[in-house]
Amino acid sequence: MSSKKIQFDVIVVGAGLAGSTAAAVAARNGLNTAVIERGQQPGGKNFFGGAVYTHALQEIYPDLWDRNPPLERPVTETGFWFMSKDGMVKATVQGGKLNNDPIDAYVALRARFDSWWADQAKSEGAFIIPKTLVEEFIYQDGKVVGVKTDRPQGDVYAPVVIICEGVNNLLTQKLGLIDHDIRPAATALGVKQLISLPAETINARLGLPSNEHGLAISVMGDVSMGMAGLGFLYTAEKAISLGVGVTLEALRKSGVKPYELLQRYLNHPAVAPLIEGGQLMEYGAHLIPEGGWKEMPRLYTDGVMVAGDAATMVNALHWEGTNMAIIAGQQAGLTAVEAHRQGDFSSKTLSAYQAGLKERFVMKDLYQYRNLSRFLDSHPEFMDIYPTFLNDALGMFFSGFGKPKKRLYKDILRTLTSRRPLLKVVGDLVSFGRTIIGI
Amino acid sequence: MSRRFWVFIEQEEGKIHPVAGELLGVARRLAGEIADELKQKNETAVVEGILVGHEVDDLAQEAIRLGAERVYQVDAPEFKYYLNRPYTEALKTLVKKYKPEVFLIGATTMGRDLAGAVATSLKTGLTADCTQLEMGEARGTNKKLLLATRPAFGGNVIATIVCKDHLPQMATVRPRVFDASPVNKKARGEVIKEKIKVTPDMLNAQVVEFITNQASAIKLEYADVIVSGGRGLGSPKGFELIKALADELGGVVGSSRACVDAGWISYDHQVGQTGKTVRPKLYIAAGISGAIQHKVGMQDSDFILAINRDPSAPIFSVATVGLVGDLYEIIPALIKKIHASKNKGGQA
Amino acid sequence: MLHALVGIKQVPDTTNIRIDPETGSLIRQGVPTIINPYDAHAVAAAVEWKRKLGGKITVITMGPPAAVSALQECIEMGADKGILVSDRKFSGADTLATSYVLAEAIKKIHEEDPIDLIFFGKQAIDGDTAQVGPGVAVRLGYPLITYAVNIREVNLEEGYALIERKTELRNEIIKTTLPAAMTCEKEIAEIPYAALPDLIASLRYKPQVWTADEPVAYDIAQIGLKGSPTMVFKTGTPVQHEPGELIKAAGTSLDKAVDLVLNKIMEHASGAPLIGGKK
Ligand SMILES: Cc1cc2nc3c(=O)[nH]c(=O)nc-3n(C[C@H](O)[C@H](O)[C@H](O)COP(=O)(O)OP(=O)(O)OC[C@H]3O[C@@H](n4cnc5c(N)ncnc54)[C@H](O)[C@@H]3O)c2cc1C
Ligand SMILES: Cc1cc2nc3c(=O)[nH]c(=O)nc-3n(C[C@H](O)[C@H](O)[C@H](O)COP(=O)(O)OP(=O)(O)OC[C@H]3O[C@@H](n4cnc5c(N)ncnc54)[C@H](O)[C@@H]3O)c2cc1C
Ligand SMILES: Nc1ncnc2c1ncn2[C@@H]1O[C@H](COP(=O)(O)O)[C@@H](O)[C@H]1O
Repeated sequence: MSSKKIQFDVIVVGAGLAGSTAAAVAARNGLNTAVIERGQQPGGKNFFGGAVYTHALQEIYPDLWDRNPPLERPVTETGFWFMSKDGMVKATVQGGKLNNDPIDAYVALRARFDSWWADQAKSEGAFIIPKTLVEEFIYQDGKVVGVKTDRPQGDVYAPVVIICEGVNNLLTQKLGLIDHDIRPAATALGVKQLISLPAETINARLGLPSNEHGLAISVMGDVSMGMAGLGFLYTAEKAISLGVGVTLEALRKSGVKPYELLQRYLNHPAVAPLIEGGQLMEYGAHLIPEGGWKEMPRLYTDGVMVAGDAATMVNALHWEGTNMAIIAGQQAGLTAVEAHRQGDFSSKTLSAYQAGLKERFVMKDLYQYRNLSRFLDSHPEFMDIYPTFLNDALGMFFSGFGKPKKRLYKDILRTLTSRRPLLKVVGDLVSFGRTIIGI
Repeated sequence: MSRRFWVFIEQEEGKIHPVAGELLGVARRLAGEIADELKQKNETAVVEGILVGHEVDDLAQEAIRLGAERVYQVDAPEFKYYLNRPYTEALKTLVKKYKPEVFLIGATTMGRDLAGAVATSLKTGLTADCTQLEMGEARGTNKKLLLATRPAFGGNVIATIVCKDHLPQMATVRPRVFDASPVNKKARGEVIKEKIKVTPDMLNAQVVEFITNQASAIKLEYADVIVSGGRGLGSPKGFELIKALADELGGVVGSSRACVDAGWISYDHQVGQTGKTVRPKLYIAAGISGAIQHKVGMQDSDFILAINRDPSAPIFSVATVGLVGDLYEIIPALIKKIHASKNKGGQA
Repeated sequence: MLHALVGIKQVPDTTNIRIDPETGSLIRQGVPTIINPYDAHAVAAAVEWKRKLGGKITVITMGPPAAVSALQECIEMGADKGILVSDRKFSGADTLATSYVLAEAIKKIHEEDPIDLIFFGKQAIDGDTAQVGPGVAVRLGYPLITYAVNIREVNLEEGYALIERKTELRNEIIKTTLPAAMTCEKEIAEIPYAALPDLIASLRYKPQVWTADEPVAYDIAQIGLKGSPTMVFKTGTPVQHEPGELIKAAGTSLDKAVDLVLNKIMEHASGAPLIGGKK
């Protein structure tokens, strides 16, 4: 084989949502773009809950709907379920503000969605190199000028590299953009099962009028067994995705096995009947970088930008990660184009990437929620006491027949105060509010 | 006129492969399933064996005791060892001469090598590796056909296949999925010797050397007790523990494919879709998750004990009893208890 | 110089298969397709012998247009040329019709560039039939060596090869004249990890596409559904078993659980005592 140098205008590492977006934008603007992906094909091993958000998809492809995206169901009902050991309070919203056209969020299956998303990048002219692992960088005069892969004669050159390697950000660490490995307290492990059921069964069990309706639910309370974390439930067309995410730290401390946690959720009396008779299609675990703002690496250096999970761009409370990945990918792609226009790939030019993101919800939200991860860690009562109280209170309220109601209210209040003093409760709520508002 | 149900009597080194007995049993059942239909037309169904080899007179008699009403025997030095082309020629010639309705061949190494070649040279249909067979009506025909059912797509789907307009309807059948009918010592039947011309070009490929390997000596399919290990063993050393339990029970060692792929144990031990189908009295699965491809190979065992530390492991869905826990704690305890009870049993 | 031909098939990755719970049929969408694993090893073996003897490797597949990626993978491994035989008219083919299409195409290739050795995989993991290889060999009148595990020698001057194959009782070495056809087990060769330039070249490679009319004019009666004597009468999902009893066997419950299980085994196997019996 020829020993000619393999040269591109830009290299994107990882064909996840961030990577394929960065590549599409760069290629669309005329850059000779390579995406290097370690998996057999894009999306093969990628994994989430989950929902993708229309605003982000359309921002990249305004003609989105002509491209036949492989989306499952629109999210027409969403909200929280509060779970106690044997009960469930459901607070969900449907219709009203959710009735946008197009619907704001869609449930997707990543294996299908990511490979389609990568195909769109291909159609913009990006060149996808699968089955190849990026291991190292090539430096020249202290600047990154390419990457080394695990293949023989595997060096690839480009003046700018966009790292979209996902949560396990080894390359980002290698560059020294962040000085430590994944922190167990700021990283959650999500375990989930995808359970297939006939569409009509899903509709009937979850009260959905048709296949054009779907659920996106965050579950709080007993689902995480008191640990900092959340459960979820999403409806695909013919499958339900259920999972739990809790921090690695909490898992380690409790000694609970991830599959036990999930099994417990699936066996819950309000959940088990939803999936009864279903067939397991997928079972897996994946990390979620929840540290947000506080764990964020430096986003750029000479010749390099980092986007998506690799840069901890996830809003854990809202399960928003894909849209951040996409918008960050877009911004990185555009910045690479601009760098080529100027012929300057130094961090000075690439700083436009971060500046651009600061104007968008990505950095704004991450900043606003910067204390959330620590808050939840230090306030376990949000994971057990309050959801359980909600269940008890509503349960008592609706079953206190024949009892003097005054006593009922007292009893209800006591189920709370016996677990946490009222003053503390007020304090918790105030600081939760502050955390979310970000002050 | 009689409708012929043919069974290839696979033999090697003077021994009939057990699958031949199983197929003769199936063929008799199938013949029974169309008996009524034939009676109306004044026809009968007959089960016949096809035996190819050299100096195999005894085997012809054995085939009759196993259930063949008649045997066609091709006996010549060229057929001493199995070779694809002479054997193909023999079967093709006999089919052309006698026009059987159904032709069953064991889905063994030899059977699958042969069946594909025979079916192609006869330009007829062949269903591979079947696990269920019956005679039934298919849409658009008013005649009972062979409904041949088999797993496909890695065992995730089962498909029933028919061959409507071509004869014979051919199928290869997995060893050990059917019971052999009991040997009838008194059975008598006709043996018809056939001559097949072997031309030199059919001998273009020749066996020049045999390599006997130890591994092939284990007959997993026909063992009464199998103790199988999976990736949960953690390392190839884990098979020592599996072997110890198997020895204690007088059984043999099986494996999931994951361990075979990892090189921990040889392929001959693999149970499942692409390994062996087994139906022992006792099957112990330790550290095996129970992928569909594994389950299809062992789910018909009489008693299945699954040991896995993951309570949601799919293997438990086919287990008679499941033990949730660490195999490295459970198996030594099992061995100890069995050992103790045997000693006690010996004294009593 | 060796001219080896390899028949390969693109298959859904059956480890990732999904079944539509309503219809019981395969959901093809979103299921990754791969080159049939046995075929990949067959290509690897051919490449090994090309490296030893010099020459070239032609890879052929009958399949949908998407099968191009499987051919590209063969180029990545070191094959020289890929041919995709693709036409709507071929769809619905069973193994008999497939072997006809392949055999005719191979004859055509052979006319222009004589073939010494044909490689197939042992079986394709979607259908697991193991019939196409033998079928093609019969149609071409070539000697057939199935379940090959090792190629000992290929002697082009004298026109023979020594191939080790696996049978139920033993392995045997077959001496065959050339040209011959073989079906391969995975042991036949390790799959090479291609160098990056080869991978990139393969991703850009465009195989030749042959149709039902060109360059081979196929007999319509022998291809596709029409040329297939077998048809799928019905499909279903395997029967689900009734799960048995689950017993926790850890810590203090270990001893009790083990006793319980042994008792159950004894009871069950009453007719034929397995434990405490003869030894
Ligand atoms: C359980 C769970 C539920 C979730 N639910 C939601 C949800 O409902 N909605 C939502 O918006 N978000 C959700 N998320 C978050 C979302 O999935 C991620 O934020 C998003 O996928 C990030 O995209 P990415 O492109 O940065 O990374 P990834 O999608 O992880 O892609 C990284 C890619 O890089 C490749 N790669 C890595 N290293 C290398 C290397 N060295 N060389 C070559 N290739 C490499 C990988 O193979 C992979 O394809 C969820 C996450 C989890 C775990
Ligand atoms: C076309 C095709 C054909 C196939 N054919 C076959 C076949 O014939 N046979 C076959 O077996 N597979 C076959 N497979 C592979 C099959 O899909 C699975 O990958 C394989 O069976 C998994 O093997 P395993 O159960 O040993 O490993 P894993 O799935 O990794 O399971 C290991 C199990 O061990 C448990 N475990 C771990 N440690 C312990 C411990 N200390 N104590 C107790 N339990 C423990 C774990 O909980 C887990 O359940 C085939 C696949 C394909 C695609
Ligand atoms: N459509 C096809 N095109 C080329 N080769 C094939 C095709 N189908 C099967 N083969 C070859 O035949 C072997 C056996 O396939 P099968 O008989 O389907 O199990 C495969 O491993 C391939 O080498």
